[in-house]
Amino acid sequence: MIRLAAALVGVVFGFTLAWSGMSDPDVIRAGLLLEDFYLFLFFFAAMATALVGVQLLRRSRVRAFLTGERIEPETLRPERRHVFGSVLFGLGWAISAACPGPVAAQLGQGIFWSLATIVGIVIGLRLHTARARART
Amino acid sequence: MCVRDAFASQAPWFVAGPLLGLCVVAVLALLNGRLGVVGGFSEVVERVSERSLNLGWKGTFLVGLVGGALLWAVVSGGRADDGYGWLTRTFSDPAVALLLLVAGVLIGFGAKTAGGCTAGNGLSGNAFGSRAAFTATMTFMAVAVAASFVTKWIWGAAL
Repeated sequence: MIRLAAALVGVVFGFTLAWSGMSDPDVIRAGLLLEDFYLFLFFFAAMATALVGVQLLRRSRVRAFLTGERIEPETLRPERRHVFGSVLFGLGWAISAACPGPVAAQLGQGIFWSLATIVGIVIGLRLHTARARART
Repeated sequence: MCVRDAFASQAPWFVAGPLLGLCVVAVLALLNGRLGVVGGFSEVVERVSERSLNLGWKGTFLVGLVGGALLWAVVSGGRADDGYGWLTRTFSDPAVALLLLVAGVLIGFGAKTAGGCTAGNGLSGNAFGSRAAFTATMTFMAVAVAASFVTKWIWGAAL
């Protein structure tokens, strides 16, 4: 049930990403070059909506509908890894004009260039695992 | 035809943005979870390396995401464009594949290290009020804008 619910939210998320043109590298690049503000308006509208919804949930003290857990949005203190990782992520975002959600949406739409990015993401994740293992 | 036209043109930001934001709220309200995409990729990679397909909710979310984009392509007729933005207008096909591969490594390694991508940190983390997510978001936005301008100057790739 939990997995099915997550899949259905995923369908809405993927449909919205594709419909908003986030899977089109031209839309993202125009945003990052500050030539078109759709990317930022879209992003901040999404974040603002989420912020209001999350705060309402937190205040209402309801339990998660499917798991029955107390709703506790996870917050963390900034560490070096958040900056270091995001610098690398930002570079990848600029080159590919896509981030993980849009890359997955590209795959769904049959934009096969996304396969190259996905292979890269898989390699990057495995490198992260290898590095984490080497450090312990 | 009318429905197809509505979905074929880009959704207004004030419709698509809130819709995406509600997905974050839904995942929190339903499973006390933090919506993210890298977590889904991670889970699929782990399961496949264990030769199992018993995905958790992050994995099924990612599968749904791919399906949702497919659904949009079917409903709207998709986009008739074989290229890939500024990359295919600037470089040869093998070079584009290599650049996308490198970009993917940076995205995968970077997002996993930072604990989230544009969705996990940018949307969910900020909505949760996480200072780490805010730091990450400001960093990747500044770097991505700066790096895009650098590529524009070097290769004259306006878009």
